[in-house]
Amino acid sequence: MRRLFCIALIAVLAALWGLPASSQALADEIPRTADGTPRLDGIWQALTEANWDVRPHGTGHALLPELGAFTAIKPGLGIVDGDELPYQEWALARQQENFANRLDLDPEGKCFMPGVPRATYMPHPFQILQTPDLVMIAYQYANAVRTIYMNDPGPAPNYSWMGWSVGHWEGDTLVVDVSDQNDQTWFDRAGNFHSEALHVVERYTPLSPNHILYEATIEDPNVFTRPWTISLPLYRRVEDNIELMEFKCVELVEEKIYGHLRKQTDETEE
Amino acid sequence: MKQKNDRYHSLIWLTVILATAGTVSSQEPSLFEASYEPPRTAFGHPDLQGVWSNAMLTPLERPREFAGQAFLTEEQAAAYQAQRRQETFRGDRTVDVETDVSHAYNDFWWDWGTELVKTRRTSLIIDPSDGRIPPLTPEAQARRDARLARRAEHPADGPEDRLLRERCIVWDGNNDAGAGPPMMPSAYNNNFRIVQTEDYVLLLKEMVHETRIVPLDGRPHLPGSVRQWLGSSRARWEDDALVIETTNLTNKTNYQGASENMHLTERFTRVADDILLYEFTVDDPAAFTRPWTAQIPTVRLDGLIYEFACHETNRGMMGLLSGARAEEAAAREVASE
Amino acid sequence: MRTITRALVGQIVLFVTLTAGAHHSFLAEFDPDQPIQLRGTLTKIELINPHSWFHIDVVTESGAVETWAIEAGTPNTLFRKGINKNTLPVGIEIIVDGYRARNGTTTASGRDITFPDGRQLYLEGSAPPIPE
Repeated sequence: MRRLFCIALIAVLAALWGLPASSQALADEIPRTADGTPRLDGIWQALTEANWDVRPHGTGHALLPELGAFTAIKPGLGIVDGDELPYQEWALARQQENFANRLDLDPEGKCFMPGVPRATYMPHPFQILQTPDLVMIAYQYANAVRTIYMNDPGPAPNYSWMGWSVGHWEGDTLVVDVSDQNDQTWFDRAGNFHSEALHVVERYTPLSPNHILYEATIEDPNVFTRPWTISLPLYRRVEDNIELMEFKCVELVEEKIYGHLRKQTDETEE
Repeated sequence: MKQKNDRYHSLIWLTVILATAGTVSSQEPSLFEASYEPPRTAFGHPDLQGVWSNAMLTPLERPREFAGQAFLTEEQAAAYQAQRRQETFRGDRTVDVETDVSHAYNDFWWDWGTELVKTRRTSLIIDPSDGRIPPLTPEAQARRDARLARRAEHPADGPEDRLLRERCIVWDGNNDAGAGPPMMPSAYNNNFRIVQTEDYVLLLKEMVHETRIVPLDGRPHLPGSVRQWLGSSRARWEDDALVIETTNLTNKTNYQGASENMHLTERFTRVADDILLYEFTVDDPAAFTRPWTAQIPTVRLDGLIYEFACHETNRGMMGLLSGARAEEAAAREVASE
Repeated sequence: MRTITRALVGQIVLFVTLTAGAHHSFLAEFDPDQPIQLRGTLTKIELINPHSWFHIDVVTESGAVETWAIEAGTPNTLFRKGINKNTLPVGIEIIVDGYRARNGTTTASGRDITFPDGRQLYLEGSAPPIPE
């Protein structure tokens, strides 16, 4: 309430003095470095259901009937501008095949690093540490991490799971160019996929001290007929003493991945 | 691999002084603060940022042959390094099969480093003064015996029988050396990156992209009911040293025999432009009869940390388990004939 | 002095081998009693961790082509030596010395990778020549 009162007071005073009102006031509160660059430091998390499916979608069954309502598909408005993904014809068929086999194929189920942009909207927090030369983003999920180089690091030596990221500021927006991701990650649990030609340009724009507008343009001429964009807000985790906790999930998936190679103990043997 | 002259000369005085030091102590602040003033971050803290390598040939524990000798002489160090370079650049087929097999990759991939620590110590352990890990407590010894017995009886029933690094969970040492923190050298990618902000220090270890983000704000460790592979770390500045305390470990990493109640203290001090002195003290009365401390002068690496996605492409585990099953099947066939 | 140095060498080498990442798992996956030498054309290199994989086509005595997968070291070390996805010498002929996999497939661990003329792959210019 006190905050609303302050905003109202500022708005009244601003109106009296002919100054811009509340959005400017909020923008002025965004933490900044000494040279005026926004500080994106902190622990953030998305609140969408995009990790289920980046497109608008309704409720659906969990992957296994015995799970019942546990891990059932939650409905979401989607994060894709225009709602649809502009797949090439062959690629749409492949996405549907992915969906049908997602229990086996979804890399998230195997604790594989999620790539960009999926890492941003996983149901886990992530932490940004910002310096003039590097912006580090550490994701709670699978202890995944990215180094965003603010000075040209040269070409990527290899394809990788979390890509090769080069950033720069445009006004109050951190723009990150992400290239050279391998073709093993998905955009979500619905089998939306890409090739090694994937090129992502992210934009992080603080809207207030406690939320960032995240936008990304996705381009992949091998899979899609044109680029497409996503956008979603990121919310600061404001709890006292909030920190990323450890979600090292390899242990949790070993049976799934290696169970078929386990030694079978025959109960009749000594 | 020749080291840069300026780096070498900047430490001549250091090695001479240390070489003539009588007793070994875990801290030698007077040696380091006199002549070097580290650059500072915008927040006034010493700037420890960059990529550092702890690749070096010096063993953790002093070999028995050097009992009583804390430092190699210059001649000994030079001879050892020359011998090691000769061996590791291939051609030495006179070694036995076991040693050969253990060097089983073209040395192009090993990156132990070609140098002993610049102080020419005969061990990374500086306290106790014999350079060796103190004796384990009876309970820690019993735990170790049980682990080794289990491993001998069940070498590959399933992934949980294998080393943590074979499982790509954390990078542990061989046999029962266990996994850190602390950050110990291994066969390659002995690199870590430090990034500092006003409130946090980030440590990114290349092997299995282990990332610790350590708060500087004095908050307490996680509650005792939460145990983590890398523990719960908290940092503070003590003059020009970054001190990180870690608790809340699990009973799965067993660093050199440690228990889940290990209390680890790490100290990072920049003592030269390209030397970050890394020291750690293991305090675990449940496992060791006294605390012990090791010191590694890590060296600046002119390069980047690359992604080390281990679990995602862990064909070795597939090969290892399928190999064990194949050998069992072959043995069963032979037995039934 | 020399005796002590050799002893130190032996001890440290032993220490190094005991803590070498590959020792324990190497023996579990590959068989030191099945050394092998293969000569073939490098068709593909997978720059993945913890081990990169070199794929070679080997022409057997009968004239058939066998595809072998050779386990090699971490690509991160290759990157630091200037070898990366943009500079891989695919298509060349190489000789591989290594040890067969225990699971009976055409898989081996690559100990040495050399050109037919004796030069070692990738070590040119960055390491002393191999002792005679």
